[in-house]
Amino acid sequence: MIYWDNAATTWPKPASVRAAVGQALVRYGANPGRAGHDMAMATGQEVYTCREELAEFFGLKDPTGVVFTLNCTAGLNTVIRGLLEEGGRALTSDLEHNAVRRPLAALSARYPRYDTAAWSPDEDETVEHFRRAIRPDTRLLVCTHASNVFGVTLPIRKLARLAHDHGLLFCVDAAQSAGVLPVDMEADGIDYLCVAPHKGLYAPMGTGLLLCRERDKIPPLVRGGTGSYSVQAVQPPDLPDRLESGTPNTAGICGIRAGLRFVREKGRERIYAHEIALLQRVYDRLASHPGIRVYTPRPAVGRTAPVLSLNVVGLPSEQTAALLNEQGIAVRAGLHCAPLAHTRFGTMPQGTVRLAPSAFSTPQEVKKIGDIFSKIAKKSLHSGKNMI
Amino acid sequence: MGGIVLANQYIHVGSITNAMRGRRLLEAQGIRAYLHRTSHPAEGDGCGYSLLVTGQAQRAEQILRSGGVRVVRISDAL
Repeated sequence: MIYWDNAATTWPKPASVRAAVGQALVRYGANPGRAGHDMAMATGQEVYTCREELAEFFGLKDPTGVVFTLNCTAGLNTVIRGLLEEGGRALTSDLEHNAVRRPLAALSARYPRYDTAAWSPDEDETVEHFRRAIRPDTRLLVCTHASNVFGVTLPIRKLARLAHDHGLLFCVDAAQSAGVLPVDMEADGIDYLCVAPHKGLYAPMGTGLLLCRERDKIPPLVRGGTGSYSVQAVQPPDLPDRLESGTPNTAGICGIRAGLRFVREKGRERIYAHEIALLQRVYDRLASHPGIRVYTPRPAVGRTAPVLSLNVVGLPSEQTAALLNEQGIAVRAGLHCAPLAHTRFGTMPQGTVRLAPSAFSTPQEVKKIGDIFSKIAKKSLHSGKNMI
Repeated sequence: MGGIVLANQYIHVGSITNAMRGRRLLEAQGIRAYLHRTSHPAEGDGCGYSLLVTGQAQRAEQILRSGGVRVVRISDAL
């Protein structure tokens, strides 16, 4: 199988990640932070070391601000609902995944609680759109770093400056960028960073991260046992305990640590450049094909995440994906949980076929994908159908 | 005959994450600290973790507090 659905989750996972997850169940089988016996302490140490390494990788000074969550969506919900349930508005982009859009929509049941600013290929124009959309009661600027459908990016450092100049908190959905694009919370001015480590960090699914530079303002969505201050009925105020109730996914955390090590050893920049180079080949082969429509700008290091969206003219995206699957190529089609982005790029309601390589993808795979796309497109053109 | 006796003291810091962060901060300042499960929690605390230090509890406490680690209390090691 040629797996180019890495924007949903990376596969295969590196051998080191698979080994770390398996070993965790043997060596770190005790509940961390609950007991004082040797295995519990060793597990606690492993979990803490993972926090330290993640903090260093993402430019967060205090590793206790690294919160393990169920997934990236859980982190985004924690920030959005935690900050806004009592009042105030959010400001977001028109490229957002439903992980941002739906929590904001749910808060808006009685009256609108968020505003949307339009992405533009011009960074300064994007920032200006955001600036104009700020209202007196706007409290949070929350946006994706990179579109999960089209790969285009938002200028997060400039948006952070804008947010802080207006007294807003700044949260970044880095589901598609963490481990691929450079992210430094201190340098970029990010207050909350939500990460899907099962994507760019090659960790197992069922893992997520919420990194908090701002430490005091979010109440917990979930309350319960933390292994600390157990007499008290109130949730401990310290991070990460305040936002981490219940037994953590230690096997997943060990997988995150191994995945992070994989990315560091290979080199984040090298992986990113490799993926972009592959997508450039795809783009150069298919963008000028009369039977194919590519929506993503030509992929470029520093400008886009390694994601490319396209369609075969005359075929619904899901049908194209099914034809690719018959040829052993795994991709995702449809709306990718991001109808806002599809509206912005004019691909509603049919959606697109999304290509997303990983560190394991090869030029040979590009050739096969290009050949099969060309064949499907040729057939579609000759059939004369116009289904989309 | 009589040498200086350095007291062993527990610095109670609540969670294991606080304890591990605290131990790193202390090590960076040349203070060796041992991580323990709190064996005699105070009535208001419940279970948690402590750092055992020898003879430098006050300085250690200062380092921890300035590093953002919440110190619950300090007790003598029996």
